[in-house]
Amino acid sequence: MRTRIGMAVLALALVAGCGTQPPPPPVTVAPVEVTPAGVKDVTAGATQGVDDCNQEASLRPGPLPAPGAMPAGSTMAAIAERGRLIVGVDQNQYLFGYRNPFTGQLEGFDIDIARQLARAIFGDPDRIQFRVVAGSEREAVLQSGDVDVVVRTYSINCERKSKVAFSTVYFYADQKILVRRDSEIRSAADLSGKRACAVSGTTSAAKLYGLDPRPTVLGAPTWTDCLVMLQQGQIDAIGTDGVVLAGLAAQDPNVVVVGPNISVEPYGVGIKQENVDLVRFVNGVLEGMRDNGTWEALYNAHLRSFGPSPGPPPARYRD
Amino acid sequence: MEQGTSRTLDRRASAAWLRRFARTTPGVVAVIAIIVSAICVIAGLVCGGQLDGRIAKHREVLDQSEPLAYSAQNLYAALSAADAAAASAFLSGDESGPVRVQYQRALADAAAALADVTAGATEAGTRAAAAELSAQLMAYTGLVEAARSNSRQGFPVGSAYLREASSLMQTTTLPGAEKIFTRDLAAVDEDQRAVGSLPLVGLALLAVALAAIAVGSVLVYRRTNRQFNIGLVVAAGLVVVVGIWMVVATQLAAGAIDESRTEGTAKFAQLAKARILAQQARTDETLLLITRGDITASEKSFNERIAQMNDLLNSASSEASNPVGDWTASHRKQVDVYLGGDYSAAVDQAIGGDPNASAAHFAAVESGLRGEIEDTRATLRDGVSSAGTWLTFAPTGALVLMVLAAVAAVVGLWPRLKEFL
Repeated sequence: MRTRIGMAVLALALVAGCGTQPPPPPVTVAPVEVTPAGVKDVTAGATQGVDDCNQEASLRPGPLPAPGAMPAGSTMAAIAERGRLIVGVDQNQYLFGYRNPFTGQLEGFDIDIARQLARAIFGDPDRIQFRVVAGSEREAVLQSGDVDVVVRTYSINCERKSKVAFSTVYFYADQKILVRRDSEIRSAADLSGKRACAVSGTTSAAKLYGLDPRPTVLGAPTWTDCLVMLQQGQIDAIGTDGVVLAGLAAQDPNVVVVGPNISVEPYGVGIKQENVDLVRFVNGVLEGMRDNGTWEALYNAHLRSFGPSPGPPPARYRD
Repeated sequence: MEQGTSRTLDRRASAAWLRRFARTTPGVVAVIAIIVSAICVIAGLVCGGQLDGRIAKHREVLDQSEPLAYSAQNLYAALSAADAAAASAFLSGDESGPVRVQYQRALADAAAALADVTAGATEAGTRAAAAELSAQLMAYTGLVEAARSNSRQGFPVGSAYLREASSLMQTTTLPGAEKIFTRDLAAVDEDQRAVGSLPLVGLALLAVALAAIAVGSVLVYRRTNRQFNIGLVVAAGLVVVVGIWMVVATQLAAGAIDESRTEGTAKFAQLAKARILAQQARTDETLLLITRGDITASEKSFNERIAQMNDLLNSASSEASNPVGDWTASHRKQVDVYLGGDYSAAVDQAIGGDPNASAAHFAAVESGLRGEIEDTRATLRDGVSSAGTWLTFAPTGALVLMVLAAVAAVVGLWPRLKEFL
């Protein structure tokens, strides 16, 4: 009897001994979280929007000289002398200025506007040299004279106008928002408590930040970074010009552009402030494009996916 | 009770007898013989053990820590090579071209190196780090394929996916791989130093043995008036021989280890780092063409990496620095034509097949570095291996000679003891 109890105690002790031996801890890792490089929280903005400089008014054009016969001593004559027009453009802006991956060529509405300028100087739209400029360098390359003009979804505003000159408005871009098709967001007012994305340093980012109620605004290096985040569920909306959004929406059937306009952005051709003759010349070329149907033709060639042409924006002058 | 008392009495009686005996001359001689021979045997065992430990460390370097560090280097390089190849393949748009094959090759290399690194990792921390790399690599390849499928449809968002993939690789995965590599290389260095270090405990015991022999000789001289006891002299000689052998063998091993560390381990680390920098600079240069935006940041990064790489190559006096100049010249040309708006010429300059284009120059830098890394690895292993050769017979030799010293002491003292029996 005693031995049996002893055996039982021993067995119990053995079992207990086994039980207290903890297994070696397995390796555990957290799921991988990815995010595009350079995405930051936007924490400032919405200071502009005040038009205290009559921003859309530009210089009235004189009579347009014939191609190949620029008045001597003018900026255009210097460009003609050089043999090519140097234009600052974007190559990532679908439908406006982008590199067609199949042909490798730059294409878009902005690119064709620039070609019209080259045609007006040389009689040949291909006498042109494109220089890719980042959004933040546009003023600098004009001021240094590295480029003659900038045609790059360039919104006219008073702050920029204190540094560079603008042509008349050649396109009005409506600022809207892009969301997933199944999203409940239907306008900027629904963005409360949501996460919205725009390119850092743009007027769009500032405007999103200025919304009331204010969403969490993330600033990404490029618009396609915003689209990646929307596709990966990291953000709920992208807010910027309707044309940019349409360019993004064209790349994904699961997203839609929604809402009334947050604002309207006037695009103009950027020119060095001192080159007054070039400003008048460019306005003359734009005037001609409005009148002879070229503007309509370019709209139909590039932007018809937005719907029927609203017609060219009327020019405003301040002489 | 009674039994216990008588046992204690017995013990007391024999202890008292021993004390009395130890004060007699034969007692002193016997005690000296016992102490000297015991110290000699103990010193022999310790010296042998310590030398054996160094040989075991040398085997550990050759069989474990060095191969592990080499695998970690392979992992680090393969991951970085995969990123450089992914960017080039994306830019070329060629689904079946040689760059795509390079990308797949680099992924396979990374998977293989990951298996080696994980299998060799004894601590949980390294295994967890390897598991993280593995999870990140899966996410990475998913992003690269998303980039590819979008790009195939002509969607610019493809480039954003590729940049996201590259950012994951450059900011999370590569630093993780670097940490594993640095840790493994530090382990190699530690093991190497252990191989060439002096066996101090053993040497101290040898000194104690010599002192015991000296004290013993003096006592024997006082008790017996014989100046030299041949046995003790022989024992002292043997102890000195063992001491010299140990110092010489470990110093020779330390010399081999020193060369293996400076010409091997240190250079290995520099070259491996330079190779990664070359690949990262290559990623910068192709990503710049994929981003098609502001190139200021990527240019800065490219130039910094090239400068760092040149520093490393100079201090490692590497031959691979020669083609770096050609590469950077070609890179300048690429940036110039890019800024001039000639995108396709820039792409050709970056990834084209022209022997004067960046792709060929980068390949020359990369293969040069790879070759030098292999050479350095051989230097490292040879040094450790020859250090092991110097030590090969030392443990057995020390033990045998010290046992002989013990025997010599006992045999030498035996006639003195016998005189009284």
